[in-house]
Amino acid sequence: MRTKLTLSTPAAALGRILDQLDRELIEASDEDILDAARDLGMNPMMKGSAAFLGLQFFSFAEFFDGDALKNLLQDGAALKAAAPQMASKRTARRPKSKRSIEQKDPAVK
Amino acid sequence: MPQIPQLADQRILTPAQVALALNLISRMDFLRLKAIARLHARGLPPDVSWDDLLQEAFTRVMTGSRRKPQGVAMVAFLAGIMRSLRSEHWSRARGGPASNETLRIDHQRDLSRAAELRDPGCDLEQALLAREQIEAIEQLFAGDPVALGILDGLAEGRSAAQIRAGMGVSKTDYDSARKRMRRALLREGLTCALN
Repeated sequence: MRTKLTLSTPAAALGRILDQLDRELIEASDEDILDAARDLGMNPMMKGSAAFLGLQFFSFAEFFDGDALKNLLQDGAALKAAAPQMASKRTARRPKSKRSIEQKDPAVK
Repeated sequence: MPQIPQLADQRILTPAQVALALNLISRMDFLRLKAIARLHARGLPPDVSWDDLLQEAFTRVMTGSRRKPQGVAMVAFLAGIMRSLRSEHWSRARGGPASNETLRIDHQRDLSRAAELRDPGCDLEQALLAREQIEAIEQLFAGDPVALGILDGLAEGRSAAQIRAGMGVSKTDYDSARKRMRRALLREGLTCALN
């Protein structure tokens, strides 16, 4: 019978351990994750949970969150609708230029 | 000419953010992947963090350099990519093919007589680092002799049946220990932020 040879260096051993343990994590159910999080006093169902630390996707997730996106779109639409009125008001209230004031000054003439 | 509407948000998105937006993975998958990335980052050179592994794995999927076979779950596929990335980084650290830190002996410009020597210090350093990481993993299961026995068996490349036979534990005890190990790994994986 042939003997199976395995490398016994610490690096090879670590590689084998990691390859096997990652399967445990792949197969972990949502319930397993929630239980582990609960052990740590975390609630992954909550926004901003410490469980997500290091995973930089919160701002984006919030952006795509229904309400946040709706508010953003409403704000954008309101700004767009108000833009022409604001522009006309700005034109109407535009202060007189220094030059025009100076021209009215008789002393200058 | 039709105008292209401006993007509502001009943030630069990470590959992980895009994956989430495309529904490639769920929020719970993210936590699963965080734990897996933190596991695979053990023993990596200090310039590589677990987040680098994770983002790189997403990038390879999204750029199409790695294609997910049908029937394979996205988390398992991404974990596989992280595993191969880890091997690449280890090989780089060892001074493998991707590294330029080899000594070339070709005094007479005769390539047939050329030889490449690897820095033996690299292997020693990596062995120490690996030993350190194995001890850190063992610490996660301290006080659980069955889990530590399983870990020894895994390090030696034994199958579940061989480990059970070697330790003389029942399948139920073995499965319970694996469950405890999974929980401990998840706790460790969820704990902290960046490396």
